[in-house]
Amino acid sequence: MSGVKAAKIPVTVLTGFLGSGKTTLLNQLLRRPAMAGAAVIVNEFGEVGLDHLLIEASEEQFTLLDNGCVCCTVRGDLVETLKELERRSREGETPPLRRVVIETTGLADPAPILHTLIAEPDLASRFRVGGVVTTADAVNGLGTLERHAEAAKQVAVADHLLVTKTDLASPETVEALVRRLDALAPTASRGIASNGEADFAALDALAENEAGKRERLAAWLEKAVALAGHGHDHAGHECGPDCDHDHDHSHHHHAHDHGIRSYSFVIDEPVEWASFARWLDYVAMLKGEDMLRMKGLVCRADDPERPMVLHGVQHVFHPPVRLDAWPSADHRTRLVFIVRGIARETIEKTLVKFAGIAAGSIDPPIRSAA
Amino acid sequence: MSSKPAAADLVVLNGRVYTVDSARSWASAFAVRGGRIIAVGDEAAVKPLIGEGTRVLDLDGRMAMPGIVDVHTHMMMGGQAALFELRISNMERRDSILQKVRAAAEKTPEGKWIIGAQWGSDLIATVNTEESLRLLDEASLGRPVLLRDDTYHNRWVNTAAMKLAGVTSANTDPEQGSFGRDPKTGALTGLMIESASGMIERAIVSSGHYTDEMDRAAMAHSIATLNEHGVTAFLDAAAMQPVMGALKGLDDRGELTAWASAAMPVTEPSFMFGIAGEELFALRETFRSAHVRPDFTKVFLDGVPGARTAAFHEPYTPDPVFGCCFRGTTLASVPELVRWVGRCEKLGLSVKIHCAGDAAVTQALDAIDVVRSFNGPTKLTHHIAHASYIAPADIRRFAELGVAADLSPFIWYPTAFLEGHKQTMGVERATRFWPNRELLAAGTLMAGGSDWPVIPNPDPWNGMEGLVTRQNPSGDFAGESLWPEQALDIATVLEIFTINSARVMGLDGTIGSLEIGKSADFIVLERNVLEVPSDEIADTKVLSTWFEGRKVYERG
Repeated sequence: MSGVKAAKIPVTVLTGFLGSGKTTLLNQLLRRPAMAGAAVIVNEFGEVGLDHLLIEASEEQFTLLDNGCVCCTVRGDLVETLKELERRSREGETPPLRRVVIETTGLADPAPILHTLIAEPDLASRFRVGGVVTTADAVNGLGTLERHAEAAKQVAVADHLLVTKTDLASPETVEALVRRLDALAPTASRGIASNGEADFAALDALAENEAGKRERLAAWLEKAVALAGHGHDHAGHECGPDCDHDHDHSHHHHAHDHGIRSYSFVIDEPVEWASFARWLDYVAMLKGEDMLRMKGLVCRADDPERPMVLHGVQHVFHPPVRLDAWPSADHRTRLVFIVRGIARETIEKTLVKFAGIAAGSIDPPIRSAA
Repeated sequence: MSSKPAAADLVVLNGRVYTVDSARSWASAFAVRGGRIIAVGDEAAVKPLIGEGTRVLDLDGRMAMPGIVDVHTHMMMGGQAALFELRISNMERRDSILQKVRAAAEKTPEGKWIIGAQWGSDLIATVNTEESLRLLDEASLGRPVLLRDDTYHNRWVNTAAMKLAGVTSANTDPEQGSFGRDPKTGALTGLMIESASGMIERAIVSSGHYTDEMDRAAMAHSIATLNEHGVTAFLDAAAMQPVMGALKGLDDRGELTAWASAAMPVTEPSFMFGIAGEELFALRETFRSAHVRPDFTKVFLDGVPGARTAAFHEPYTPDPVFGCCFRGTTLASVPELVRWVGRCEKLGLSVKIHCAGDAAVTQALDAIDVVRSFNGPTKLTHHIAHASYIAPADIRRFAELGVAADLSPFIWYPTAFLEGHKQTMGVERATRFWPNRELLAAGTLMAGGSDWPVIPNPDPWNGMEGLVTRQNPSGDFAGESLWPEQALDIATVLEIFTINSARVMGLDGTIGSLEIGKSADFIVLERNVLEVPSDEIADTKVLSTWFEGRKVYERG
């Protein structure tokens, strides 16, 4: 095995609500020494004016993939821009490229950018997704979520949520926003930016290599499964008389989540990978548009000591990666879904029917003890 | 002002009107205004609707019923076959076919194609020899010849045709098809199996043999032929651009005298040529008109049993070419099918899936099961055509999954097709063909289709008799029955060819029965098909056919 294979360059997607301080954050981020060798791609000319960094303007050019779904548009312009950045660095025209940050416009759907990075063969060999960071401002965040389905989706696909302007809002308002974010994106980590100072270590961690990520995988999954499983199935569910979850409003008013919900499954028995992979295919084909994010660790019956890591954004899945060992003592298959309007029962029923998983080995949602 | 209702355009009186409306099966009169039925009942119910300009049709006790709905036709080919092709019966043997080719060659200018249909696919082994090719070459006097078989999946062509298409012994078999080779010598025989047929058909298309004018004439002829047999709605089961263009063109000129659904192929079929799939679907709305509904897609999942191209669970009989254990293959995997069905559902398109072998049926049902499990129920009705060889365990799945059985073509009785199947499948398996009674008992939505011109005549009364008797109405194969336990009763059969077929086309709110508000599409018969002996159903003559209250056919 050759150890000299060039490391893939992490691409971090920075997205966020209008007026949530995305540009401020970017300007601060870029001033840090850790960002040497970083290139920034912006969707439009903004206020980021740092001469020493390469800034590319990227026109909105869309190329439709054959299945015609808007969420699967590959950004042809982005492909060209990234390839050009990599070429210039490789040929010594610019300093070595170590990292890329793509800043999207306010209400842009980050999914096509992720698809471009995952699915475009020319890019997938040289770049990798270094996380989606979504900024939500404490002052207007709840209202923005309420009014804009796009904002909810930006939150749902995030790896890291950064709550900004906390110094300008009351602790109650901040807390309410965080609760909503937890419901929409249980798998994302959290950060607070007060006075424009963010926790940059968390952002750097996103761009770490896979080995670094693995360290945190167990903790992350446990949190995600707990959050997604224990009744934070906010949108669209029926609240019975014993409904025990917190409501941000006094009424059962769920429209603000735009049908976005999350849930998780813990599967006790190892799974037959071939059947499971076929089921994943079906999910991506038939429900991809509404499957905003899916992550998981799978225990294969034919190789139970080495779990598979799953990561999907709508129709597009990263090729599943096999870990050398389980990250924790818990060797059960765990799947976390962030979806728009896909019933939990549909996933559960089809897992049983097509993935060869016994109904009895799927744990019911973990109920909150509190 | 009195509240006297506005007069009807047409009042039909004194008939035995079988409405196929379960709420009231029989009436003696009905009235029509603006092409729609405005009253159904007895004379008293319609008399007040007779005004100055009202046309009154006295049926003199004759039977009337809704127009027939045919859920599987190939309109352009039907008209082309009737107008421009050498007619060959699938009962004819090689010598008789060669004589016809010779006669045609003498009248055909040099360099012009001779196109014929449809020889019996039970002749495949006979045709697939060097000797047969030599005889065809001699008969054709140097003109290129293409003869389609009765499945329309295979061709027998001569050396001149192969030359024009660039087919030589050096060619390797195309994907999903093959060139017939003499089992003894290995030389090309001019037999073109499945996609190989397309190579010759393309050569015909690129030679400009069929003009737009011919297309229009073919379509108009086809529709007139259907009307003559009482058909007032059809689904074209492989609607390429020229088919939909001709339909829309006729409708825009007010000349389309039937409701037309169109199934757009997801991939280019082996027998029609041009754009297919997404590119064709994108044109869907440009072809939609008052009576043209491009709301279906077509998937060809396998071939036909006679050519060993249908996909079965059990192997075909041993064969020098295919070996001992060949089961046929499907042209798409379950995931590919899931993708198509899922995509079509998203576009609001129903899918008609050609499944000639039982393994293809299983696979289609499996794929629809996947889509249903994820997407839940839908208003779209997917069809399995031709729902003929079905594994026992799959029978109940049609109803469970809400899949319609497209019963086509009219070969529910002993035919040359069946003889071909016996050769490739053995008698016992070949005759477990069309389990219609079992489908009915399982609650399956069954619809009737001719697959014209796969069968040379789209006369539904032939088909209906066969569904009831399981014997060949023409008198061929006298005394033989095909799996008689699967016979259906005539009342069920009439529903299959009217309201059920309307339902599977998604048009049951408009056609399929004589009810207030529905289109006044009806036929007048010279006999009461519910009362005649079952072996006389095929003799039924349509006296007149009415589309939206206008007479579009009258028996001369």
